[in-house]
Amino acid sequence: MPDSRPGTRFPGYDVLSKRQGPSWNEKTREVIAKRLATASEPRFFTADEFLTVVAAASRIVPQPPTRRPVPIAALVDRKLHLMQSDGYRLPGTPRDGEAWRLGLKALDLETRVAFGVPFHILKEADQDFLLARMQSGELRDPAWTDMASDVFFRMRLARDIVLAYYSHPTAWSEIGWGGPASPRGYVRIDYDERDPWEAAEVKGGNVVAARRKNNRVR
Amino acid sequence: MRQYRQSEPVDFVIVGTGAGGGTLACRLAEHGFSVVAMDAGPYFRPLEDFASDESEQTKLYWTDDRIVDGANPLQMGGNNSGKAVGGSTVHFAMVSLRFRPEWFKSRSLLGYGADWPLDWREMWRYYSEVEDALKIAGPITYPWGPHRPRYPYRAHELNAAARALADGCEALGIQWTETPIATLSAPRGLAHPCVYRGFCTSGCSTNAKQSALVTWIPRAIAAGAEIRDLAMVGRIEADNSNLATGVHYHRDGQWRFQRARNVVVAGYAIETPRLLLNSATDRFPAGLANSSGLVGKNLMVQSNQAVWGTMEREVRSYKGPPSLAITEHWNYEDKGKDFFGGYCYMSQGPLPQLWANTLLSARGLWGPHLISEMENYNHVVGLKIVGEMLPQEANRVTLADETDQYGLRIPRITYSWCDNDRRLIDHSLAFMTEALEAVDATDIWRQNDDTCHLNGTARMGNDPLTSVVNADCRSWDIRNLWICDGSVFPTVGGVNPSLTIQAIACRTADRIKTMARRGEL
Amino acid sequence: MRRSNGVTATQIALGLAALAASSSLLDKRSLARARKYRTGEPKQAKAVYDNRILGGKLDVPATVTAAKRLNRAAGMLALSVLADSGVEHYRGSFKNKAMFTPLIVSAATLGVSVHGTADRRKAAHIMRDTTYLLAATTGLIGTCFHFYNVAKKAGGFSWQNLFYGAPLGAPMAILLSGLIGFCSERVRETPRGITPSIFDLPAGRAMAALTSVGLLGTAGEAGLLHFRGAFHNPFMLLPVTLPPLGAALLARTAAAGPGRRHPFVRWWMRLLVTMGLAGVGFHAYGVSRNMGGWRNWSQNVLNGPPLPAPPSFAGLALAGLAALGLMRDHPDA
Repeated sequence: MPDSRPGTRFPGYDVLSKRQGPSWNEKTREVIAKRLATASEPRFFTADEFLTVVAAASRIVPQPPTRRPVPIAALVDRKLHLMQSDGYRLPGTPRDGEAWRLGLKALDLETRVAFGVPFHILKEADQDFLLARMQSGELRDPAWTDMASDVFFRMRLARDIVLAYYSHPTAWSEIGWGGPASPRGYVRIDYDERDPWEAAEVKGGNVVAARRKNNRVR
Repeated sequence: MRQYRQSEPVDFVIVGTGAGGGTLACRLAEHGFSVVAMDAGPYFRPLEDFASDESEQTKLYWTDDRIVDGANPLQMGGNNSGKAVGGSTVHFAMVSLRFRPEWFKSRSLLGYGADWPLDWREMWRYYSEVEDALKIAGPITYPWGPHRPRYPYRAHELNAAARALADGCEALGIQWTETPIATLSAPRGLAHPCVYRGFCTSGCSTNAKQSALVTWIPRAIAAGAEIRDLAMVGRIEADNSNLATGVHYHRDGQWRFQRARNVVVAGYAIETPRLLLNSATDRFPAGLANSSGLVGKNLMVQSNQAVWGTMEREVRSYKGPPSLAITEHWNYEDKGKDFFGGYCYMSQGPLPQLWANTLLSARGLWGPHLISEMENYNHVVGLKIVGEMLPQEANRVTLADETDQYGLRIPRITYSWCDNDRRLIDHSLAFMTEALEAVDATDIWRQNDDTCHLNGTARMGNDPLTSVVNADCRSWDIRNLWICDGSVFPTVGGVNPSLTIQAIACRTADRIKTMARRGEL
Repeated sequence: MRRSNGVTATQIALGLAALAASSSLLDKRSLARARKYRTGEPKQAKAVYDNRILGGKLDVPATVTAAKRLNRAAGMLALSVLADSGVEHYRGSFKNKAMFTPLIVSAATLGVSVHGTADRRKAAHIMRDTTYLLAATTGLIGTCFHFYNVAKKAGGFSWQNLFYGAPLGAPMAILLSGLIGFCSERVRETPRGITPSIFDLPAGRAMAALTSVGLLGTAGEAGLLHFRGAFHNPFMLLPVTLPPLGAALLARTAAAGPGRRHPFVRWWMRLLVTMGLAGVGFHAYGVSRNMGGWRNWSQNVLNGPPLPAPPSFAGLALAGLAALGLMRDHPDA
């Protein structure tokens, strides 16, 4: 069975090692370079809002302390700054950016009422408690206005955070995905088949063999 | 590319360049008509413009503001709307299926929905024309339905996800086959064959995908049509003699007007009714072509529920087109059903963002649970239906009071499942669960929430009181106003609609040619 | 429902397998008989024989010349197999250790064939004989492996699995290489004044018949795979038209009897040699037609048209030429 600790299933695999190879085209290099260069300061969120987003992101998608974290909050921030929207919303829910501001404001209020401090100061367990209540729609302060807290959780907060995290090469490496694939796609596509430019999973506890294969990925 | 002056009335201005509009633009231009086809989105060059990246490629989706409500609000964007020349065929999953013949008369023969004014035998011929135009890669013989000619290109190699579907079907004793799909299994002209990169629904940077963008559109241009991109049509102008005179469109920062002898609306089942409703005048206060009151009504999506599981073996379903194997068993088998309609199901290959969001939205996973479940990504296997939903007038597109970046009222999309929809979904989920159990998948769970495709909202028929257009896609009310996209479907069937939309467009072009020759335009 | 459609290609493969199996059963008997002749070879007959056959221009007997040509044909086939199985089994990640076998065997076959091509002696070589028999056996076993591989997949002998599963006909190439090589040894060791024969058949005509069958089988394989490619390029029709015609010509030659020169058939065989070699060029172009072209070689050499496959035709046509040469030079063969 594979090691259950996060980040240990594909030892040594880094999707970025393929960056200059035939699996990436110019356009992809350009797009990913821009994403990797995302600065950590907010452009859409206020400083206070941003602290809350950073804290929420670290609970929705916890990252190991052993590597450089994916700047999830900044990625969410850029999407809102560029007004890249999902394009659909429920009645009572404002457009993406406004929905975020409204939801963060309501969350902040709920947090202060329940714990007396801002969300990002809370213990992780308390943050999780609030997020779980939001997910189940149990946060019902009038500050939410017509937007249900569960809708905000599912369609905005958690969705945007999860999408931001899995838009990052670090996350791709973590799950052993092949990553960008053009012009070169794949050849071996049946069960248990792996191209030499794909992640190798630890099999039968043999970490060394998997690492050796992953170091050769280009 | 030939270009037309705005003041010069062209024979046809077509709004939208997807499966309906792109196909029609090509065939009308080839029949010798002057054509300007407009699209709100850009004209992409896939080889240079497309990245291998889910986020970046959301630029292909229609993400303008829309309100969704009803008991089962729809998710819009990636799974059903495109904003680019080529429309949503630029990011469709390429599944190219024919209707079951009986569905064209589902009211008379099967007892539900509404009859089409089209004959399946005629459609069979147009299906063949489209399959050849797209060089569909499909099986040598198709297990269901009446005879069809051999697909022009051979089926692709099955990936592990498709093998799982096949093994499941064999275990349950039903037939399966390779999905007929619109991506090349061998070179064609300058286009490369598919490289199995798996980004199909994010746009094909190989140009193997036979979207309208790389098939009909270049043919249309070669035949003298003009493709005007980044042109958002906001209103159709209709005069007092019950004729359309052209379209108002927004391009390069200002509103313009293109004169035309005929207007074709091909914006798919949300934007088509929205444009007709937004074009209301004093003479047509309920919107154009809406004397029946049916514009916007009978919106039909398709159920897109899935069953997912984990395999001991590596599946790596991200390789290859997502749906390489299919069973249409429950489209053609009527025994043992407690519902009307049918469904097919196909193998799946979600990319990481889509998969993570599926785990979040359908299963409620976040935190360490999500992270550890995502590490099983390479072992995930799934089966997903395209299921028939019944037409209901209450499922509809109306105009909200809010406006978009062009100042146009945005659509409000109301959708609720009916009991029949739910029974079909339950049946499919139970069956697919068995199919996954049969291949020894573990941790099997059901995704209940998804839908795909857009149809209805301007149905065709034989009676002006109960339909918006006739069999030729010509509106009953305004004789030079046509609607040619998925909106005209009276029922939706249990297969992906793109092939049928294109077949209807080919037929419409031929009918227009015939009528023009007879002076009936 | 698709099972029945798989029959055509399967039948070709099955026919070949049956032929190869019966041939290999005869091997031992033939080998023993050949040894017996070799020991009793009358040396004084050499000059007379050479003068009669070759007009005294060369001192290499016609049998050796023919044998060398057959070695060359076997070598060409072995080279094709070496490269083809190398590429294809690399694609299969050598999941099964047995997948190395055709590489080792075809490399050895290629080696002994080169050796035979340079060897002017009239005696069979035990290493060559053994290697060629090994190659033939490998071809048979490989065919079984490939049949098993296809049969176990969902759909069995469906078009899908015939197109993309282990190619049923491919191991036949090493079998043919082995058989041709084995025959070359029998021809080489045939004494003066005795008609070279294989399995009690006149060697030239037997080789022509074997080559004819080989050409048909290989054309069947090319036909299957070019059908998979929807014959998108008209040149893809060449290997399904020219070789079967060549096979028919050779079969007619084999039936017609000895003592004729068959210039048209010889010309046709040279055409097939050219086609086989040009096929590499066509397939190289095919690789460049895939996404990324040669820059994306790590995918396209595997997913594009197989570069090493067409020389199989050249190898078989060379065997055909050797057979025709033998029939010309040795009127009884």
